[in-house]
Amino acid sequence: MFSVQTTNSSKRLSRPLVVAVIIIVLILVASSMLPIIFFTWLWDRLNIFATVFLGIFVEAVPYLLLGTLASGLVEMFLDRDQMSRWISHRPIPAAVTGALMGMVFPVCECGVVPLTRRLFHKGLPLSAGVAFLLAAPVLNPIVILSTAAAFGWKAMLLWRVGLSLVIAVVVGLVFSVEKDASNVLRPVLDMAHDHHHEESKSFVEKIRAAFVITADEFFEMGRYLIVGALLAAGLQTFIPQSALLTIGSGPVLSVLVMLGLAILLSICSTVDAFVALGFVGTFSFGSVLSFLVFGPMVDIKSIIMYAQVFKKRSVAYLVLIPFVMSLLSGIIFNYLSP
Amino acid sequence: MPHRLYRSFQALLLLALCLFFAGKLASGQLSYYINLRFIPLTIFGVIFLALLAQTLFSENRRSRQQEHEDEHHDHDHVPANLWFMVVPLAIGLLIPARPLDSSAFATKGFNTTGPMVSSDSAAKLFETESQDRNVLDWVKISYYEKDITPYLDQQASVIGFVYRDDQLNENQFYVSRFIISCCAADASSIGMIVNWDDAKTLKQDSWVLVKGSISSTILKDQTLLVIDAESIQDVPVPEQPYLYP
Repeated sequence: MFSVQTTNSSKRLSRPLVVAVIIIVLILVASSMLPIIFFTWLWDRLNIFATVFLGIFVEAVPYLLLGTLASGLVEMFLDRDQMSRWISHRPIPAAVTGALMGMVFPVCECGVVPLTRRLFHKGLPLSAGVAFLLAAPVLNPIVILSTAAAFGWKAMLLWRVGLSLVIAVVVGLVFSVEKDASNVLRPVLDMAHDHHHEESKSFVEKIRAAFVITADEFFEMGRYLIVGALLAAGLQTFIPQSALLTIGSGPVLSVLVMLGLAILLSICSTVDAFVALGFVGTFSFGSVLSFLVFGPMVDIKSIIMYAQVFKKRSVAYLVLIPFVMSLLSGIIFNYLSP
Repeated sequence: MPHRLYRSFQALLLLALCLFFAGKLASGQLSYYINLRFIPLTIFGVIFLALLAQTLFSENRRSRQQEHEDEHHDHDHVPANLWFMVVPLAIGLLIPARPLDSSAFATKGFNTTGPMVSSDSAAKLFETESQDRNVLDWVKISYYEKDITPYLDQQASVIGFVYRDDQLNENQFYVSRFIISCCAADASSIGMIVNWDDAKTLKQDSWVLVKGSISSTILKDQTLLVIDAESIQDVPVPEQPYLYP
């Protein structure tokens, strides 16, 4: 069974490779007819691309390591019975507990994905896991502190935390309708087997085993972080930010622009408050708030990482419900306090 | 891919990534990519990556001694995951490191004013010696102070890169810097007009130390502080090419 899968994946790999080689040859042929100025332009773009990509990557890797480490430790030290004792299986309490669990695990949106998947594997109910996935990047202590540092202990912080909680619980409840987790989650190969020797292992051995899991998961999730960062850097290299900013300043359009920016920038939730601060003068309270609520839940790299854990339809729910809710709350704020 | 080969490759990649980060730290090029207040996180990353690599290497050594027990592990290997990690290493090693410069203005935008400030710094700022203020500080002053007359004729000494655009006269250029909060992905740029008769001779994107006195001008209905330069000096790229708000 396993050998079949490897041949499949090598076949899947080889076709893009052939296509890539053909494209490169075509580009080389075409480029020999272009003027020099095009190449200096291209070289400049390439440099911006590399700097922005490495910026996101260097910034995200330690957080991803923390998240996968948490996942490894959960795998080795938390068993299914404990989990079901702590978390209710009724939808509303489960979703609320899930969302509040974010306060315990200091993970941002890169680290939360592998951790959530691990918790699902340990028997966490769907609604709780989904609420945790969306709320943890905002509710964690680091993010609360950085938001307070940027905006003070004032309305912005309160609304950010409150709205994120509400949205996370709502999406969690939507997912609680689905009783069969396998309709929502993608099957995971490396978790299919159980570690049967766990009980007999010493503490040091458990830590070592947790590190091995951390390493495996770091590569598995890192792959999608890399694809996401490549996309975000590519977009930033070729699409002017001003194009977004000049689209509109109306009460509806300005929220849409901030939501678009949240997706495009793909910055870590631990620091996005400082970035949002730069928009305060140009954008209304509601628009900046929608950026702060939506950004940690959805951006290019997290969409790609979600797609690794959830099936396509569920990813659509995870992106669209927070989008619509952030949009609506931003618009409501803009009309109430323009 | 056989189990031990896979593990070795994985450990080597972790080690390579660890060395790559450590190299960027040691060379100071880390400041091209992220806000330096995240250095503790990067150091954690370097140490933990080394620890993971070491764990995998020693796991490999152990599994050589007890070969049969580890066969059931083979199925969780997806070699493609490993190959992806080569991408950032390749980008980092093949494309020479270069901080953002005026070529990024096209997509990142360019400002001469704006609230690029964290809430606490405004008050502190106005007490600093005029010679110690950087481009960002001066831009903040033009933006926040209603009355800029006390600042006129103060001595300024700022470092930035040269940028000229069509809106400026022939004897003017911008001394500019990028501002980042998190990493290069959120960079935005600011600039301050400098009056200098030989502005034309300055190379776009070259780093300069501008010394002179402060005066003011009006650009697009906004009053801006400008520098009447007394001397312009070429300087190397500073250790921190970006400013932090």
